[in-house]
Amino acid sequence: MAEHKGAGVPPLIYLNNAATSWPKPSEVLAEVTRCLKTPFFEQGRSTAGGTTDYPSATREALAGFFNADEPDHFIFTQSATDSLNLLIHGFVKNQKTQFHAITTELEHNSVLRPLHTLEGERRLTLSTLPFDDGRVSLHEIKKAIRSDTRLVVMTHGSNVLGSLQNIRPISEYCASNDIFLIIDGAQTVGQIPINLSEIPDCAFIFTGHKALFGLPGIGGFYLNDPEAIAPIRHGGTGTDSRALAHPKDMPQKFEAGTPNYPGIASLLAGIRYIERTGQDAITNKCRGLTALIIRELNKDPNITLYTPAPDLPVVSFNIRNLENDEVGYILAKAYNIITRTGLHCAPLVHDRIDGGKGCIRMSCSYLNTPEECRQAADAVREVADSADR
Amino acid sequence: MKEFVLDEPLTGEFLAFLKSFGTVKLYPHLKRPYFSFEQEHFISIKGFVGDANVEVRNRKEFSDLTGDYFHLLLFYYHEGEPGTRKMQEIEKSIREKMKIRLPAPGN
Repeated sequence: MAEHKGAGVPPLIYLNNAATSWPKPSEVLAEVTRCLKTPFFEQGRSTAGGTTDYPSATREALAGFFNADEPDHFIFTQSATDSLNLLIHGFVKNQKTQFHAITTELEHNSVLRPLHTLEGERRLTLSTLPFDDGRVSLHEIKKAIRSDTRLVVMTHGSNVLGSLQNIRPISEYCASNDIFLIIDGAQTVGQIPINLSEIPDCAFIFTGHKALFGLPGIGGFYLNDPEAIAPIRHGGTGTDSRALAHPKDMPQKFEAGTPNYPGIASLLAGIRYIERTGQDAITNKCRGLTALIIRELNKDPNITLYTPAPDLPVVSFNIRNLENDEVGYILAKAYNIITRTGLHCAPLVHDRIDGGKGCIRMSCSYLNTPEECRQAADAVREVADSADR
Repeated sequence: MKEFVLDEPLTGEFLAFLKSFGTVKLYPHLKRPYFSFEQEHFISIKGFVGDANVEVRNRKEFSDLTGDYFHLLLFYYHEGEPGTRKMQEIEKSIREKMKIRLPAPGN
């Protein structure tokens, strides 16, 4: 996709889809418009008829998309960050004594910050496991397990290295050792097929505005065992308003207040778009585009690639003699190529790969074209070549 | 961070003026010659030589002291050598105020 800003301005090339996807498919925009043009309807909150009950329809769609048993166990939140906060703080609230938790160096601050805050409050002790070749193994997790370990929180896919974690054996191990597992799927949902029936004993988080092509402001999680988490939000649910106690049945247990109907509508349309297009087709195209960029960048010795063979469409790199924020600025202003620079909210990864300085990240979506990726790679090489003189 | 659109394109002479106050990096061989200017604790500027758009960043903790610094640089640039001296006096005065907030060496 490209838009012309004016004469002499190159077409926009958007390669920041790991942060938020753009553009959105026309079906998503159409569904959001349709949602906004008619009164919102949800059982218990409105008498408006003849419109779509988006929360119910989307929960059913999510259950089909993820091959999950219980549609009502899909909880809507504002984002993956919101989901992680609800789950982590909700789990801790259920614990009567201090316990041990495990996380990894690959994590986003939406995992690290809640855990570090709780560690500071002495609600838990925390082990942060190193990664090797972009992955944290079950072996490493087993080594870190203690008698008081109750929680593991880890990413499914790194937003900097593009590496996929092998979560199925980790899920099975945690389940058989009474350890609650929270998996951050912010970077993987919509990029690769995910079958929740294969990893049943965990809480799995997703966000709507990345590879699901929805709006910012919508995300959620699937919770197999609602008893593991105490709710930290209480309020109106549109049901049983006489009772002052917040409902305990799903999904109301973890939702309160008016839902983000346009966001939920965008999620529904995004899922339908992916199912119509085919998840495998999306996965394969994104991998091809990423491989194209990497192949080109690999030709220049002035470019340091941190993702030589990523599982996800993420290309992270630095250019010799230029700071990463300068590269991002040059690509944006001189070439109209949008990327992201810095630490990408994952500081511990950067401590390991680039001394904590940060890097440039390009991340494509199904809606990017090979020509766009070729132009982006050429631009990076041109900058790298010029910076070396 | 703020983006400014100047009345006229930025020149090499202005970059030479900036060297009196901080570090200027210039990459003339890029498709558009890129420069950056960094004056620790004060201001950083990014842009392209011959372009009227620049990106200016101030340190948040000193923004009350340096918020107008870029405007002052533009103003005193046009004053020649007396302008450079005046700007250096202003810089010194701001640094004295910053010292109160900065941690002492070794802390």
